[in-house]
Amino acid sequence: MFGRVKPLWGEKSSLKSNYDAVIIGGGLHGLAAAYFLARDHNMRNVAVLEKRFIGFGGSGRNTAIVRANQRTQENVPLYKEALALWPVLTKDLDYNLMFFNCGNLNLMHSEAAMNAARMNVATAQFHGVESHLIDAKQCKELVPALNILADITYPIFGAMYHPPGGILRHDAIVWGLAKGAAEHGVHVHQQTEVTGIGVENGKIVSVETDKGQIKTPRVLNAAGGYSAALSYQMLGIKLPISVLTIQAMVTQPLKPLLNHVVSSGAYHAYANQTLKGEIATGAHMDSWPNYTTQTTAYYIKHQAEALAEMLPCLRGVKFMRHWGGLADMTPDMAPIMDGNDSIEGYFMDCGWGYFGFKSCAASGKYMAQFMASGNCPNMLKPFSLRRFEQHRLMGETAAVVNYTPDN
Amino acid sequence: MKRLEKLSTLRINPAKTLHFKYKNKNLKGLSGDTVATALYASGIRIFGRSLKYHRPRGLYSLDGESSNTCMQVNGIPNVCAETTLLADGMEVKAQNVAGSPETDLKGFMDKLDWAMPAGFYYRTLHKPARIWPIALKQVRKAAGLGKISAEFQMPGKYDEIYPKADVCVIGGGPAGMSAALAAAENGLRVILLETRPWLGGFFDYRTAQNGAGLSLSQSVRQAAEQLEQNSNVRIFTQTPVVGVYNNNLVTAFQKGCETDYFDERYLEIRATSVVVATGCSERPLLFENNERPGVMQIGCAHRLAQTYGLLPGKQAVFSIGHDLGLEAALDLFDLGLEVLCVADIREDGQDPALIEGLQQRNIPFLRGWVATRAHGNKTLHKVTLATIPGTLRKDFSCDLLVASAGMTPLTGPLSLAQAKLAFEPYTGFFIPRQLPAKIQVAGRLLGLNHPATIEASGRLAGTLAAGDCGVSVESRLKEAREKLNQLPGPDQGSKLVTAPVQGRKTFICFDEDTTVKNVKQALAKGFDATELIKRFTAAGTGPGQGGIPGHNLPLFVAQYHGDIKATAMPTTVRAPLVPTYIATYAGSNHDMCKRTPVHDSQKAAGGVIRRIGVWKRARYFSKDFSCRAEIENVRKNVGLLDASTLGKFRLWGPDALNALQRVYASDMSRITNGKVKYSAMCNDDACIIDDGVVVKRAENDYYFTTSTARAGATVEWIRYHTRYDGWNFHMVNLTDAFGVINMAGPNARKVLAKVTDADVSDDAFPYAAYREFMIKDTIPVRSMRLGFVGELSFELHVPSSYMQALWDLLTEAGKEFGIRHFGLEAQNVLRMEKAHLIIGSESEQRTTLHDVGLGFLWSRDKSEEKTVGAVALRQTENQEARLKLVGFKMEDPSRVPKDGSIIVDNRIRGYVCIARHSFALQEPVGLALVDAPLAGEGTRLQIYEDECNGQHLYATVVPTPFYDPEGKRIRM
Repeated sequence: MFGRVKPLWGEKSSLKSNYDAVIIGGGLHGLAAAYFLARDHNMRNVAVLEKRFIGFGGSGRNTAIVRANQRTQENVPLYKEALALWPVLTKDLDYNLMFFNCGNLNLMHSEAAMNAARMNVATAQFHGVESHLIDAKQCKELVPALNILADITYPIFGAMYHPPGGILRHDAIVWGLAKGAAEHGVHVHQQTEVTGIGVENGKIVSVETDKGQIKTPRVLNAAGGYSAALSYQMLGIKLPISVLTIQAMVTQPLKPLLNHVVSSGAYHAYANQTLKGEIATGAHMDSWPNYTTQTTAYYIKHQAEALAEMLPCLRGVKFMRHWGGLADMTPDMAPIMDGNDSIEGYFMDCGWGYFGFKSCAASGKYMAQFMASGNCPNMLKPFSLRRFEQHRLMGETAAVVNYTPDN
Repeated sequence: MKRLEKLSTLRINPAKTLHFKYKNKNLKGLSGDTVATALYASGIRIFGRSLKYHRPRGLYSLDGESSNTCMQVNGIPNVCAETTLLADGMEVKAQNVAGSPETDLKGFMDKLDWAMPAGFYYRTLHKPARIWPIALKQVRKAAGLGKISAEFQMPGKYDEIYPKADVCVIGGGPAGMSAALAAAENGLRVILLETRPWLGGFFDYRTAQNGAGLSLSQSVRQAAEQLEQNSNVRIFTQTPVVGVYNNNLVTAFQKGCETDYFDERYLEIRATSVVVATGCSERPLLFENNERPGVMQIGCAHRLAQTYGLLPGKQAVFSIGHDLGLEAALDLFDLGLEVLCVADIREDGQDPALIEGLQQRNIPFLRGWVATRAHGNKTLHKVTLATIPGTLRKDFSCDLLVASAGMTPLTGPLSLAQAKLAFEPYTGFFIPRQLPAKIQVAGRLLGLNHPATIEASGRLAGTLAAGDCGVSVESRLKEAREKLNQLPGPDQGSKLVTAPVQGRKTFICFDEDTTVKNVKQALAKGFDATELIKRFTAAGTGPGQGGIPGHNLPLFVAQYHGDIKATAMPTTVRAPLVPTYIATYAGSNHDMCKRTPVHDSQKAAGGVIRRIGVWKRARYFSKDFSCRAEIENVRKNVGLLDASTLGKFRLWGPDALNALQRVYASDMSRITNGKVKYSAMCNDDACIIDDGVVVKRAENDYYFTTSTARAGATVEWIRYHTRYDGWNFHMVNLTDAFGVINMAGPNARKVLAKVTDADVSDDAFPYAAYREFMIKDTIPVRSMRLGFVGELSFELHVPSSYMQALWDLLTEAGKEFGIRHFGLEAQNVLRMEKAHLIIGSESEQRTTLHDVGLGFLWSRDKSEEKTVGAVALRQTENQEARLKLVGFKMEDPSRVPKDGSIIVDNRIRGYVCIARHSFALQEPVGLALVDAPLAGEGTRLQIYEDECNGQHLYATVVPTPFYDPEGKRIRM
């Protein structure tokens, strides 16, 4: 039935000394950019360099939630397109990404929060993205496990309900994109660490790796949590990124219980049930910057306290696995997608914080367009690095963020 | 089943019968039984069905290594029957079965494995696209083990404790007990954590002699008694460790026994030193049908008999790779088990005494042989043994196969403590290459096997741990090391990873039904790293926490790559090491929040209390949420608002003014005595983060307020922004020390005059002034004439202890003037009519001081480096295309737009921050942040509400404030 098995992302190829583009980071963003470069722009002589194994970083550590109900008009269209791409990619990659279109409920715990959510909902509706404000009773109808009693820490007033959202299988996207990229000729080099980037006369000329030098006119920094350090250490370009650990966990597998993604900003918790039946849950970041992926006792306890109130039936369910990843946070919770500025041929796709998963398909598509043509697509223009220099934060979150005391 | 009696090792109480229900039958067990042993005693051999293939699964281990015995108990899903003590009246059900475990309607799935190679779902079910939503439903139904209903209420009491210890010993076996004792003898506080209900580990059930005339069981039980007497040692049994974190924070949970006040209790232990003495589990033997009910590990079979009095079968074959297997065979033979054959993976290295024991009993013994297949449809009835190369074979009819590839160390706590493990070829163990600071290791975990060595290694670890705590232990260390060196070292471990089979139904992970063949498929697909294989095949991601595949998977993969020594790397271990209830982690689940001193009064007065940030505050005093009566009473008479949550700070010292200058936009040197100064703080992007008032109470002594939300962050903010200056000033957060009442309305002065002798006339105490005086000669108040709600008002700051008295006094004195409370929503409308902003409502992360119309607060006279945000204030001053705060009125006054509605033309141009019907103006008014080109007076705004279906509302930009633009009423 399945014939002779071929390695999913191609037979192991040795590192060539020349590539038309080198992509640093074998995560979702890097692989997606490689895939679209090769597929849509006929740029097949591309290498994806990954220090560990593909999907090691945030791509394999997120909780795989997708949605398009962002806050600002610069962001909504990008995420809307990403959402529309999952079924398309499933077909094009011929790989089941397991999109479960379960819809997302973002719970609101005060009148003020409901009003703030209205702005997101109105923004979504204005852009043709389905999103509604619903009251607590409607929440309970959708999610019977929800506690809508008034005597809990943060009583539920209602929710922002976003039916087109859902979850995917994150690993499947990593592997699917790697497969797709390899089929179009891209080389995926695992266990290959970038040690330097060569610049001459303001232009990218090479990438140094622990396996040898590569001549290339284009480099994409898609190194996720490590992108800011890489940018500064190898090119001296400082990015306004704070790196924070973000933790998540799953329970033991259960038969279907939750049919939606449920999240709460006040409780700092979200929960959704994976197709394997585990309740995946997480939410906020550690309150101090650090580069480790270690978990904390505080966090899992906090998560239990939140879930015990929000979804009390889960009190009888056991946590099984708890892990950490890195979130590369910008001051406005919107990414930096930029290139050809100050160094020709240097492109950046980073600062995604915890939105990197849901956006990868769209960002890969447009970054590929940018890298192939040299011209920044309109979709990406608002995400330039220079916005920070001009004090033009994007407002992707309403609050002034405070990762470090200097913010 | 009849129990074996009179064994000295038993842990059950034959005199105490417990009753429980399984499959609608009333069954009996004994006190001391686990749910699993009670079921086994009742003849149950199939406990449930596996996740994917619905294969029958039985009792394989006794410490919860797999999900084989996950059952529903008292409605709670996924309860591990092996580690749950039986209680009277329990209701037990099998999981993941359609029908019964013995006749599962989905048993046919086992025949479909050819259609489900590793990762098959990624390659199927999506073509054509329309079948996926249907398939998805089936996938969801098939997945998952236990069921829980949305209405489920977890019974029981849950608690949490946070003990501190000098030394925390993980594992109450012989090594851990020795370590605990050694540390305690050094005068240290020791916490000993043991998963099982008793101490003793793998000595507890063994009748082998310790060399000093006692059985291991007897000797370890004596030692346990001794340890329990030691007042320096606090022993927690039934307490599995779940996490080890930085700086030796150990988390665990304790299961309560009948006399405890809790069902489960979460423990968070901060220890100076940690001793890991977790011992070993058995490395599962990989062969065909290696998980068939009737196949079990050595310890399981041995303990069933010695601990629970249950002879595990009638006729048995042993396929083992460790002396414990030989010992068990002898022991079980003596207890009445017919042992047909013992196959040992090892060609040599066995204890000669044990081999002699086999010969004495005429038990056939095969060296270099291994089980290659278990036969039997649902439970075992035949076993095939073969030589390791697979050249010779023998079949045995039997109902029990004791199978084990050897021992494997329980390294979970070490991995969590960030110890790096490396494969050690002699023992075949993953052994820590280097220990993290203040972590010690002892016992079987290191490959030690001889009883005396294990105890000696415990002593050494306990002494080292004492050294970690600062005790001088040199001579004791020397002694402990010398003793250990004289004793036998580690035993050679068995090398075999997998029996000579194809591996189609050789399960490397029981929980996820991952076979050796699946792993090979993954490898062929290019998933060469063990971590990738784990993700692709799901091996080790089930409820058993990798207990079965743990070390087999990396060893198998390394063997496949051809170099076990160089490439074997265990996969990442994650907390919790033992699955733990959310109820247990949540513990007492307390809610921490703050209440103001007049919380109860306001509640009694009909206040609707809501949680706002860390505070609980009165949001309304009206049934009608327009709060009309509250609002109109402030405008007409007088109202009382509890504003105690305001951030309040004292900042004093020679450099106090410098500090204020640094963080406030205004020139704070211009504060005069007796006057209130309003200003704002910005961040480095010129965005407004706070506003408030500052008063100067004496030379270099300031009192200032911040918004409620910034009360927690302000001290840190000021410290951070003055960190390089070496200035001499002090700060104290007085937020909780002072209560605040805002008394506002045209009658406010009359009320105040009734309770104080101070002159509160407009001449003596004008608008924007600050006064300190006594109320009723008793209550010292700090009072400010402010106008947030747009009326004559006095903000009264009093020590929190006086707050209630003042509140009552004013309420009483104001009766004749129509005083009543008002809440936050009324304040919200009142201040909106004055266009006074609330940070976070009319501002967000994009909004600068200029954008909200407060640019005038910024003093250009201060040098830029002296003021946080000053550079950005200059750079953004004339920037175009920013959102600006404007007031608006509606074209159709019958309709108030909802807060958060957006302002659009062909794109989004802003949003409504707040809009309310104004009773004073008798029309709706509101504030919005709009693109600068739309901010001009008279501009028509198109408002897009959610669900508006293209029906827009229209408004016009108007000047603010809406109410009393001349400000006469605040100056009354």
